[in-house]
Amino acid sequence: MRRLAVMLLGLLMLANVGAAEAAGPGGEGAPYPEVRPGRSFSFPADLGAHPTYRTEWWYATGWLEDETGQARGFQVTFFRVRSRIGEGSASRFAPSQLIIAHVALADAAQGRLLHAERSARAQPPLAGAEEGRTHAWIGDWRFSFEDGRYRAIARDPAFGIDLELHPEGAPLLNGEGGYSRKAPAPEHASYYYSRPQLRVAGEIIIAGERRTVKGHAWLDHEWSSQVMPAEAAGWDWVGLNLLDGGAVMAFQMRDRSGKPLWAAATVREVGGEAHRLPPQAVSFQPGRRWLSPRTGAEYPVEWSISLQLPGGRRRLDLRPLMDDQELDGRRSTGAVYWEGAVSVTQEDGTALGHGYLEMTGYANRPRL
Amino acid sequence: MSPVLPRIFLASLKRRRLASALSLLAIALGVALGLAVQLIHDAALGEFGRGIRQLAGGADLQVVGPRTGFDEQLYFQLAQRAEVAAASPVVEVDARMPGREGTLRILGIDVFRLAGIQPELMPSAEGNDTFATLRPDAVFLSAAARQELHESAGLMLQAGTTLQRLRVAGDIPGVAGQVLGVMDIAAAQERFGMLGRLTRIDLRLADGSNRAQATRALQPLLPAGVVLRPADAAAGEADLLSRAYRVNLTMLAAIALLTGGFLVFSSQFLSVVRRRREFAFLLALGMTRRSLMRGLLTEGAVLGLVGGAAGVGLAYGLAALAFRFVGADLGAGYFSGLRPALVFAPLASAAYLLLGVFAGVAGTWAPAAASLRIPVARGLHAGEGASEALVARARPGVAAGFLLAAFLLCQLPPWQGVPAGGYLAIACLLVTAVMLVPVASHGLTALLQPRRSPVLRLATARLAAAPGQAVVASAGVVASVALAVAMAIMVSSFRSSVDHWLDAVLPADLYVRASLGSGSGFLTPGDVARIAAVPGVASTDAVRADSVRLDAQRPAVTLIARAVHSGWGLPLVAGSLAYEGSGQPAWISEAVADLHQLSVGQPLELPLAGEPQRFMVAGIWRDYARQNGSVVIDRQCYIRLTGDERVNDLALRLAPAIEPGQVAAAIRERFDADTLEIAVPAKIRRITLAIFDRTFFITYLMEAVAVLIGLFGVATTFAALSTARRSEFGMLRHLGMTRADIARLLATEGAWTAGVGVVTGILAGLAVAWVLIEVVNRQSFHWSMDFHLPYLPVGAFGTGLVALAAAVAVLAGRRAMSHSAVRAVREDW
Amino acid sequence: MLEISRLSKRRPGDAERSLFRGLELRIAAGECVAVVGESGSGKSTLLNCLAGLEPVDDGELRLGGTTLTGLDDDAYARIRRERFGFVFQAFHILPHLTLAQNVALPLWLLQRPAAQAEREALAMLERVGLRDRAADWPAGLSGGEQQRVAIARALVHNPQLVLADEPTGNLDPARADDVLDLLLARIRDSGAAGILVTHSRRAAARCDRILRLSESGLLPADEG
Repeated sequence: MRRLAVMLLGLLMLANVGAAEAAGPGGEGAPYPEVRPGRSFSFPADLGAHPTYRTEWWYATGWLEDETGQARGFQVTFFRVRSRIGEGSASRFAPSQLIIAHVALADAAQGRLLHAERSARAQPPLAGAEEGRTHAWIGDWRFSFEDGRYRAIARDPAFGIDLELHPEGAPLLNGEGGYSRKAPAPEHASYYYSRPQLRVAGEIIIAGERRTVKGHAWLDHEWSSQVMPAEAAGWDWVGLNLLDGGAVMAFQMRDRSGKPLWAAATVREVGGEAHRLPPQAVSFQPGRRWLSPRTGAEYPVEWSISLQLPGGRRRLDLRPLMDDQELDGRRSTGAVYWEGAVSVTQEDGTALGHGYLEMTGYANRPRL
Repeated sequence: MSPVLPRIFLASLKRRRLASALSLLAIALGVALGLAVQLIHDAALGEFGRGIRQLAGGADLQVVGPRTGFDEQLYFQLAQRAEVAAASPVVEVDARMPGREGTLRILGIDVFRLAGIQPELMPSAEGNDTFATLRPDAVFLSAAARQELHESAGLMLQAGTTLQRLRVAGDIPGVAGQVLGVMDIAAAQERFGMLGRLTRIDLRLADGSNRAQATRALQPLLPAGVVLRPADAAAGEADLLSRAYRVNLTMLAAIALLTGGFLVFSSQFLSVVRRRREFAFLLALGMTRRSLMRGLLTEGAVLGLVGGAAGVGLAYGLAALAFRFVGADLGAGYFSGLRPALVFAPLASAAYLLLGVFAGVAGTWAPAAASLRIPVARGLHAGEGASEALVARARPGVAAGFLLAAFLLCQLPPWQGVPAGGYLAIACLLVTAVMLVPVASHGLTALLQPRRSPVLRLATARLAAAPGQAVVASAGVVASVALAVAMAIMVSSFRSSVDHWLDAVLPADLYVRASLGSGSGFLTPGDVARIAAVPGVASTDAVRADSVRLDAQRPAVTLIARAVHSGWGLPLVAGSLAYEGSGQPAWISEAVADLHQLSVGQPLELPLAGEPQRFMVAGIWRDYARQNGSVVIDRQCYIRLTGDERVNDLALRLAPAIEPGQVAAAIRERFDADTLEIAVPAKIRRITLAIFDRTFFITYLMEAVAVLIGLFGVATTFAALSTARRSEFGMLRHLGMTRADIARLLATEGAWTAGVGVVTGILAGLAVAWVLIEVVNRQSFHWSMDFHLPYLPVGAFGTGLVALAAAVAVLAGRRAMSHSAVRAVREDW
Repeated sequence: MLEISRLSKRRPGDAERSLFRGLELRIAAGECVAVVGESGSGKSTLLNCLAGLEPVDDGELRLGGTTLTGLDDDAYARIRRERFGFVFQAFHILPHLTLAQNVALPLWLLQRPAAQAEREALAMLERVGLRDRAADWPAGLSGGEQQRVAIARALVHNPQLVLADEPTGNLDPARADDVLDLLLARIRDSGAAGILVTHSRRAAARCDRILRLSESGLLPADEG
């Protein structure tokens, strides 16, 4: 449930209306398939793209440490969007599948996010997202899976990443066997699996300077056709790698008054046993707030997440790597949201792990 | 000096109000014309360049090919090269709009590729549709396009002979002054028959890769006829293409300004003559000759400054009017699809203001210098007034020198596309003509020896004896008449040549066209067959037009594939239609022959469908339609080499006694409304000649102004003289001349003065016309024309001018006929 | 030859006061009358009135038996061409005509054939002593010579009335006497009536009569 979700999904629903009216020559493609419970996942085939669905992403986030021990957050995402435009076109430029890539680094020394993006129509060999295996690319930016590890490359002259992400264990299916509901209505859902506790090694470039880094990351791969219900104003999401080897994914969908419409969590214990929590078992408590000087939006940059696990209640306190991890896309995509590295502690302050927090709908409803 | 300056010198300007006003007006007009031409073209070229930059954006290099484009595979190759940081593919189509004049420039673009290279072209959608810019029916219009098309919802465009309905989905906020629309590249390819093809690729180079290196590295990837060039090269092409025309107009403005300077000269000259006693008196009182000269020069400078300032203001008004009514290209068709805004140009304005001052000072220089030679004692003496005139000596030797120089200058090649030698030759011819005015003057007096009429006797006696002032006024007329006559001859020669040319290029009975050569309409072989099957059509000739680049440095040349034999002729100036040598024949236009130094029998390589093909130049033909040049090849040969069977124009021969209107109606029935333009040759001829006349409209206007300023010269001279001659006229009244006699005397002198100028001017005009036709035109536009002298208009113009000058002289001299003139006999000079 | 009766002219711009009123004058053929008067007394206006260049308010003019008053401009111009001769203080020799042409000017205006005009002009120049310079331009002439040309021009067409306005005003006294003698001699020769307007007593004294112009008319000036 991530960030382009923010701009695209919200939009796509609206686009849907317009698209129906503006059916011009070039033809609309077949309708988007619905996301239903009971789909059986098959790997490695499901590591690849599912081009009939409206939106899909490979979303990797994590914490990196360089030789000096300095910690930074990174995020790299490849989105695939099916536009249902030009599917019958004979042109190689037909924009039926679009690829969008984002890369960001959270460096406390910079005080704000370093960020770059690319977008293109899927048009091999220049850009695309393969079926059957993880391989999405735009030019020389790519995110792929080969020889048992993921490779993320996104380089600009000023900053960039070139990382290998080693998975441990099988993909972790969220929700009901990978069917992840986002709202009370069952059609607001996605197919969604995560790969937590990815061991990362590689290098990053900041201000043109290379640094060798290692750390841990989290990968989400999610595809859907309709996610956000009309009454939703935004959401909060976390993906946390715990120091003990455990992993936590939790999200809540908020309505306009800030009250949760829906929530869910997946908690993998150290032993590998995973718990899927229903809405009533997940509670997000906002803590300290930070006022963005850019957009005037106020984000709860600290959170207390309370999870009702079979073994009892568990509380996770989130602290950001730095306060300003806001992405101001008003001049490009229109979306304004907070996407940043956080560390997790127990109530008593004992470090539990690291992860990423995403907060949308605080400045505006995702791209309206 | 300070109190003297306003009281003695500047006050003198006020005293001779008419002369001062006319001098001022002349300078103002010269400055205004020059600056207006400059402003208009600067705005147009600026907007054009801005457009090119906008379209090229941050591109370092552009890949361009023929109008019909090149294989899109090149884009995929180039985009993956290490030298290329970003590549943006473009499909550019001049979309015909059925039922409307002209075409709309449509750029099929990849919005995702724009951001890195051409952000200004980024379309902005109305509403909330994320994919608005990708929809195949969506078109986005620039502000200028919206204004021009008055279109806010739908747009009907033509591809081939089919109609394409597009929805106006938003704007292009980054583009203001250019008339264009953008749409998704895939839709553009599909809708306009460009599948698999691109017309342009804009490249931004990777850091550390320079243009020269990248060009060297990428060049081998390009198919024949596709070139890599700097992104701003297109601006240079437009500059080059329109330069000759702009220089032409600037020259006309310069002549106007020159005539204005001349007017200052004649008016100041007469004023100095009249004020000799005053000056002698001032010198006697102890004023130095230097400050006397300074004072006079200040008079000239003030005239120039005020005239220049008025001219600058007028220029902006004229430019605004021109934008409103004639267009940014002044009707010449160089910058269609542009809506430039008038901007204040401080540098050009200041420069022209200074030119005005310069004209004023330069015009005063000789008279002021003459004031240095005033003998104080004699100057003070009564009776020494207007009597002493400039001794205008004929200098046939010097004149012959200038004539020789003119001849030699005509032999020079153009300099940077501008026929500098030709223009200098024209200047030399004008100098020659002015120097020969005294000769003409004497010649004319010798011819006119009136026996009885006292008025004629007086006039000729006066003009024969003291042609000084008259020569000054005549010379002012000479330059403007010579220019006007020369332009008239040139335009008339051009027009009659175009007329004959149209006969040769329009041999058919009926013409069917899907759109202009550069437009999006075309006929398929099926369409052609349908038309050929219409009853009454005896035979057809299909014409395909494309463009080819013969080299990367020059603009593309039009390629015309058509039948050459069986009566579908070409207006050849060299070679023949029946080519008997080996190899494939091509007929090149004069421009191609000039620009690429080709002659009959030489080989010519044409890049067709990405492959170089060898042709032989079988003939050179006259093509007035395409300034960049054109090449005609046989259509069967073209189809064999390219496989392209599309057709732009179809010429029809009808069976005997068939009414073209019926056939046209029958053809229209078989196609979508307004997708075909069907015309009889007479209509095409009419339209062509109308365009021709529009192109020269501004030229006519500027000529008129130059002639007007020449007439001002006659007016100022006579105004000044008649003041000076008041006592003379008073005496003649005493001697029994009536007021009407005096008017007749003035009219005769005016007519005579203008007559000398007109006769000399017409003779000079003939010579200048020859230079214009054979040198200036040939070098500017690379086409030849047949000399054609419009006797009647030139005769009428000359006669009219003489009559007008007579009237002007009477008008200017009316004070001399007034009652006070009678008393002037008693004024003590 | 010239008969002036009851001639009246008001001051321009002042309808109440007259320049002269009820002016009476008769001049016989061959007689030359000097008119003297204060500056502004209307001497020049009187000449203009006689020449028909300014309208008179009342009175009658007869020249050689022809009534001139009441003629229109063109008719008066013809009369001036045929019967008047003028000599000006500032000579008004046209610089762009030769001496002969200057003298022939009145004949041109009378549309005499060119050959005849030239012949008569040369004869007239002979009489003023400038025959040998007939083809010269006036530029080099002295004031006296110019005035002699002017006298020749005034008399070349045998006018009935010669009006001379300060003819010696621009000449030094010695030269003035010569010129004046010439003028008077030629007028008497030709049988014309002459009116000489002058400030100079010396000049006036050479005329047959001297009259003083005042508001009340022309009265014999008391010599002395």
